Amino acid sequence: MPGKAPNGKKPIGNRIKGNKEAEMKDTSKKGKATKKAAKDGDDEMTVVVPSTKGGSKTTKPPASSAAADADADGDVDMDASDKTDADEEPAIDPVAQTISDIKSNFALLDRAVALFDARFSLRALRSISSIRKRLTPDILAQVVAETFPAMGPSSEVAKQLLEACGRQDAPLGRQSSEMEVDSEAAKPTSKSAAKKDKEPKDIIPEVDVFLGILTQVYLFDKELFMEGATFSEVLSDRIHSLNRRTLDSLSAKVYFYYSLFCENLKPLPPSPQSPIVAIRPTLLAALRTAVLRKDVDTQASVIVLLLRNYLLTSHISQADLLVSHTQFPENAANNQVARFLYYLGRIRAIQLRYSEAHEHLTAATRKAPSSNCALGFAQTATKLLLVVELLMGDIPDRATFRQSTMEQTLRPYFLLVQAVRVGNLEDFETAIVDHEDTFKRDGTYTLILRLRQNVIKTGIRMMSLSYSRISLRDICIRLHLNSEESAEYIVAKAIRDGVIEATLDRERGFMKSKEVGDIYATREPGEAFHDRIRACLALHDESVKAMRFPMNQHRLELKNAQEAREREREMAKEIQDGDLDEDDLGGDFDGI
Amino acid sequence: MAEKQLKTVITQLQTGSTTSYATASTALSKAKLALLQLNALTPSPSLSPVLYTLARSTYEQGALYSIRAKKADAFTRYVAQLEPFYTSGAPKGVKPSAEQSKITGLYLLLLLTQGRYGEFHSQLESLTARGHDVEDDKFLGYPIRLERWLMEGSYDQVWRAMKRGEAPCDEYGVFSEILRAQIRSEIASSSERAYPSLPLSSTKSLLFLDSEGDVISYARSRGWLVRDSTIFFPDVDSSASTAEAGDGEAVMAGDKEMSQMVIKNTLGYARELETIV
Repeated sequence: MPGKAPNGKKPIGNRIKGNKEAEMKDTSKKGKATKKAAKDGDDEMTVVVPSTKGGSKTTKPPASSAAADADADGDVDMDASDKTDADEEPAIDPVAQTISDIKSNFALLDRAVALFDARFSLRALRSISSIRKRLTPDILAQVVAETFPAMGPSSEVAKQLLEACGRQDAPLGRQSSEMEVDSEAAKPTSKSAAKKDKEPKDIIPEVDVFLGILTQVYLFDKELFMEGATFSEVLSDRIHSLNRRTLDSLSAKVYFYYSLFCENLKPLPPSPQSPIVAIRPTLLAALRTAVLRKDVDTQASVIVLLLRNYLLTSHISQADLLVSHTQFPENAANNQVARFLYYLGRIRAIQLRYSEAHEHLTAATRKAPSSNCALGFAQTATKLLLVVELLMGDIPDRATFRQSTMEQTLRPYFLLVQAVRVGNLEDFETAIVDHEDTFKRDGTYTLILRLRQNVIKTGIRMMSLSYSRISLRDICIRLHLNSEESAEYIVAKAIRDGVIEATLDRERGFMKSKEVGDIYATREPGEAFHDRIRACLALHDESVKAMRFPMNQHRLELKNAQEAREREREMAKEIQDGDLDEDDLGGDFDGI
Repeated sequence: MAEKQLKTVITQLQTGSTTSYATASTALSKAKLALLQLNALTPSPSLSPVLYTLARSTYEQGALYSIRAKKADAFTRYVAQLEPFYTSGAPKGVKPSAEQSKITGLYLLLLLTQGRYGEFHSQLESLTARGHDVEDDKFLGYPIRLERWLMEGSYDQVWRAMKRGEAPCDEYGVFSEILRAQIRSEIASSSERAYPSLPLSSTKSLLFLDSEGDVISYARSRGWLVRDSTIFFPDVDSSASTAEAGDGEAVMAGDKEMSQMVIKNTLGYARELETIV
């Protein structure tokens, strides 16, 4: 499904921007210190991009965070295209190259409209990441200037729609004024003049919005968040007024950037005054419209944005209500699903519904794109998943920590898991204190604080397994508890909760473990087997559902079949009528 | 006009803490009516700082009065009304309320005693996110510590904290009784499973009861057997005896159920495979 995957990739990267940047930089610092240094000095055009993230991230020193985003943005084909660019650039003027790149997307958008196939718009969106690094105000201005007056040969459809909405003027004027901010004034003015002359020449709104998105990307990369937010507001208003299904995937992007701009405006999110609170009504309105129009792309991405929005300000109950009152579209892009599941898992984890959280987060990590560009998402989701697993009393798989991409970032969690596994409260507390900042940044700190009881429980379980009889005093010492009394209550609770099979003797003050039964005599193995088979079957079903079939193909087949049938009928009729002579029949048989 | 009235009502409520709940609630409904007339029931950006503070303190007083009168529902309602005042930003020139952490702490405690842990943690999460140093806060730290001990099972710590009067203010005392009962039943249910039998004397200290008489009456209320000044827990006994008596049958039933499950699953796999191949 080439069409689906890339669309969502970027936001994932963006969402976990904070962690990822830091962590990715860590790795890049160690591994590629030299390369990085070299790159910082270079200008972006001369860079022969290494396909690794750490390296390409630094290609744009002035906006490193934005560059990180651009990177996260990266699609599968991004690196490839970068390379070709790098190779070709010496020969071709980079500006012209970029302009023609941008313009080549208009053709795609045109086709998307003409064929009513979202795949083309998605392809156009995918190219943003490669264009992104080369965007300059000049290029943007030139494209707009050239596109709007000159692009005459648009299809009939575009013309009709243009007349229907007739809004080119306002947003275009704005775009140009936006451009004037950074570029020399001459170009935009001449452009807008030219545009007014040829007003009847039409531009399909998709192209218009696509240019809008490019502008958004540009503003974001330049960290002009304020301008970006105002511009996005206008753009989203405009999208809202258009009702075109071919615009769906584009508008999802527009809302995404709108919300991203607001997130970066001061005061930053956890503060209640943050502008993200103010865009909630807009997003909710967009969601309503998207649902009414069955606009799956926008619906999915706006739900995800809203959840993110609520969680940033820790409005957990609102987020929960949103989830319970909306239905996440089933056939949403895979990456949106992954993100949605991640947020859902987060909400459930906070609400202590660990098994649900575990389910969602496992699905999220599995659905996350496996390529490097969404590594940040995978890391963040894995971190949360690890904590939830610990909270459920499970010990995460050792292999999780061995993956080369994860090893470094998961280090604090690894220490944590070790402490929990052994049931050592002391190690646990030191791990928390040592990595408090990391945990707080990851948003797992409060969850980790809840782990204390699990450490104790595991400790008790270990003791119950290793000793058939142990005094409360020893338990108290090993677990570093305050008093024997505490130990007694805790053990009693553990017995009641089914953590251990044991009895207490109060008079003599010891815990006596019961014999552990043979687990293979129970139905547990059967259930585990059943679970796995079910997961495999579900996977199979999903992949069958996810297959794409060319539109209208079946009609062609039907037609063929019908023709064949008709021929047959005719032949039968001819035979009946006796019109067919031996030769004809003979010829036919030969053919067979 | 209405504003002045409102002011006097609130000062009355704030100063006269001995006012009965009945009089306070009539005063509060008057205040709320005034707020309605002033269009200040919910915080909005257009609200003047003075009105904003007035509205907030109306609800705060309402919350405090209702918790003193042990009206949990009313208290929850007031907290819900206060929520937007606390979570969304205050207009310029308004200081955060002095009562905020007190009321939030009380609300946390209420959620704790009602066993609504999910909401408890949601609330906690939003507090931490807003940059409160929850653990060191006088009012907020108490319920948080209690929750941790309860989850762990260190009931003696909870008990001691309540005994020592660690509660930061009088209103927290309202919950002591509920908490005490809650802890006791927790301990009792764990003891049922953990001990085969218990001598009366040590049960007294275990359950934090005052006399052996209390222990006996408590044991009766839970349906425990008291014999020779020792408590036997019927649950374990009865389940053991039924297990012995109906051993054969139970095993048979279990086996049958299990094999049925296996058959059902296997048939299911076969069907699925059929559709795939």
